Amino acid sequence: MDEHRAPSLERILRPVHRWVWRDAHRCARKLLTFAATEADGGRDLSRAAELTTDPLLRRLFLRHALDESHHAELFRARGRTMLAALGGGGGWLEARWLTPGERGGDDLRVEDVKDASLLAFLHLSEKVAAARFEVYRDVIPDEETREVFRRILRDEVFHVHYTRTQLERIAPERHRRELWLARASRLWKGYLRVATALAGRLGTVILLAQYFLVLPLFALAAKRAARRERPGWSERQREQPTLESQY
Amino acid sequence: MRILGISAHYHDSAAALVVDGLPVCAIQEERLSRRKNDSAFPLAAVEWCLDEAGLEPEELDAVVFYEKPMRKLERILVTALRAFPRSWRSFPQAMKNTLGEKAWVKGIIASRLGVPARKILFTEHHQSHAAAAFLTSPAREAAILTADGVGEWATLTEGRGSRSPDGGCAIELLRELRFPHSLGMFYSTFTAYLGFEVNEGEYKVMGLASYGEPRFAEQVRAILRPTADGALELDLGYFDFHLSGRRAWSSRLVDVFGPPRSPGHPLDLATPDGKRFADVAASVQRVLEDRLVELTRALRRETGLRDLCLGGGVALNGCANARILNESGFERVFVPPAPGDAGCALGAALYADRIHFGGRDRPVPDHAYWGCPVDAGELERLAREDGLEVELAPGDRALVERVAEELANGRIVGWMDGRCELGPRALGNRSILASPASADMRDRLNREVKFREEFRPFAPAVPAGVADRYFELPPGGARLGRFMSGVFPVRPEWRSRLGAVTHVDGTARVQVVDPEVSPRFHALLLAYGARTGIPVLLNTSFNLSGEPIVARAVEGYSTFRRSGIDLVVAGRCIVAKARASGVRREEEAVS
Ligand SMILES: [Fe+2]
Ligand SMILES: [Fe+2]
Ligand SMILES: [Fe+2]
Repeated sequence: MDEHRAPSLERILRPVHRWVWRDAHRCARKLLTFAATEADGGRDLSRAAELTTDPLLRRLFLRHALDESHHAELFRARGRTMLAALGGGGGWLEARWLTPGERGGDDLRVEDVKDASLLAFLHLSEKVAAARFEVYRDVIPDEETREVFRRILRDEVFHVHYTRTQLERIAPERHRRELWLARASRLWKGYLRVATALAGRLGTVILLAQYFLVLPLFALAAKRAARRERPGWSERQREQPTLESQY
Repeated sequence: MRILGISAHYHDSAAALVVDGLPVCAIQEERLSRRKNDSAFPLAAVEWCLDEAGLEPEELDAVVFYEKPMRKLERILVTALRAFPRSWRSFPQAMKNTLGEKAWVKGIIASRLGVPARKILFTEHHQSHAAAAFLTSPAREAAILTADGVGEWATLTEGRGSRSPDGGCAIELLRELRFPHSLGMFYSTFTAYLGFEVNEGEYKVMGLASYGEPRFAEQVRAILRPTADGALELDLGYFDFHLSGRRAWSSRLVDVFGPPRSPGHPLDLATPDGKRFADVAASVQRVLEDRLVELTRALRRETGLRDLCLGGGVALNGCANARILNESGFERVFVPPAPGDAGCALGAALYADRIHFGGRDRPVPDHAYWGCPVDAGELERLAREDGLEVELAPGDRALVERVAEELANGRIVGWMDGRCELGPRALGNRSILASPASADMRDRLNREVKFREEFRPFAPAVPAGVADRYFELPPGGARLGRFMSGVFPVRPEWRSRLGAVTHVDGTARVQVVDPEVSPRFHALLLAYGARTGIPVLLNTSFNLSGEPIVARAVEGYSTFRRSGIDLVVAGRCIVAKARASGVRREEEAVS
């Protein structure tokens, strides 16, 4: 059973989660975001079902896909009901990175992996999600939303379970290795995500510096040219650029 | 000449192959990658096209990209400069987007396909739209109007196309409207304001419009107004799309129309807010139509031509197309099955063939079925592996009779036949079919299959020979109906018997089915009519919400398994859902 227990990190973060879920507006928005994540997960799984050559796996993936789209439906319905009750407005910070949905930041390219690696990946990802959802279920203040998580968690237990048994079935010799590889690849991907985000930020800073240092002069010229432009049709030049030109 | 056309990097990317002047295949990347609106470089689509034709990349004479990347880059830069310093937020993102793959298309094509740089050509974005509209149409000589969000600079062009008796072709674009003045941006801004996804939810705006009164039409007219020379301009005070990447509209727009609808918020037409959104949609739709009618009327007067070819994403607006046909004075209006950017892959290839290389004109087959074929054997294998019963119809007649019987009994059928369509519409080769008779069926499809907003109507399909009986088609209406490009009234006496496909305003986006191009689908409609008295079927695209239309049998099968579809058909293979499903328990036991 310890497989399904929340890892310590999630438990340590419990007060943070409690804070995140306290605000009803934010809660509703988060549920809608979760709905989109579950729906995406469902699509990945249906793709996996379409790609596998193992009939039993196909049926399980299809069932799993159905579960995920059902979860999407549950989240969406609850989120919408809450939003409708709250009325408009409430552009609250959603704190997505603090409380990710199922599959969290894991991205999956179903086409590129073999069944065993996919199962290992799904197993880990579902396990983490189940742990996370347990914490959410415990800290969320309103009973109806808690019930949604309770309902979904029942399926998640099945997902965690079948991915493991199927992994052992199709890769009896190397299921442990596959799990380790999946773990390593999740870590690597996590690192890549952080690194890419950092690089992105750095790029933004550099571009912004150029924007404010280099662009003003050109901007002046561009604005002046824009003022000269008359509204309406632009005649097309007689001499059209040839197809060789990119300009 | 073997010419590959490519469109990519904006909405749905696509590839098309033209050999000796005729299209051989064309497909959107999303149909193969299975990522909806996939805008990545269409490598899978290119590979499939080359495979299908048995060609190696080095055997290509040219690869044509559908727009001029450097001019586009220029527009993005200049727009940022003009909006300085308000563009500071969007500038880094815009640069990162553009300086990545998008600006270096030539290098990407050369490296990914291994084609020498000298063989890589670039049409203008609106040349591609114009070619996709004119060169695929049967018109000898036609006026051309293209309108979309934006290409390089142009957002709308007018011109003319002609085919001369000696086999030469010409497309001359006479004038253009430039960014930020854009009918497409105008409509998308309101799409976003109404809480729908841009480039995806535009037709929801059109559907919603029928529920409202155009009580804001005057205000909208002031925002999209004619210029002295007969063009259009946007009052930019109401828009922010050219200034910041954050929001398309400005606070002035909110002052006039009220707060926007936040995405995900339920849209309840019984509430004052819901009513207001419907009224805004109705007003925006009305003004878009009015302006298009004014433009096309003037174009008709100027050219004196009888035929009009429409291209660009705006040509997906079936209500506007029908009004253009009715009111512009043009006798025939041609809209290709893929007027948007995906169709530009084909447009660019044809443009290069006819205009750049001066290839002899050849009439392009008048259909949309350029994608990959369906393999009935694949469906059969999958169903048997899963223990489902498989029926193989001995012939077309038997197939059609059997499926018609099921449809008449109120069952929902996933229908795959031949090659998949190019463009956003399912035209009977990858369609979900059902009885059009009652609104209950519409609700059931929305609930169990499409999982989507209810105010969007489903489309009917009707055999060409009897279309006029059920729908009020003006002269030329059947032509627009060929690719579901027009919205027309359902005849009042049939509305109650066509409840699932008749919109609240009594109209339908009808597909008029030609027996020459879709013999099986046409026969199915007749067989259904023989049983029910009305040879009309509800036809909606074969996909679940958020997914691309199915291409291959396996995707049709998986869609069937994950939804309320009762029966799936590929070629002559029929698979029905087992009545009481013990599948779930069996799987739990195995797992
Ligand atoms: Fe889930
Ligand atoms: Fe799950
Ligand atoms: Fe376009």
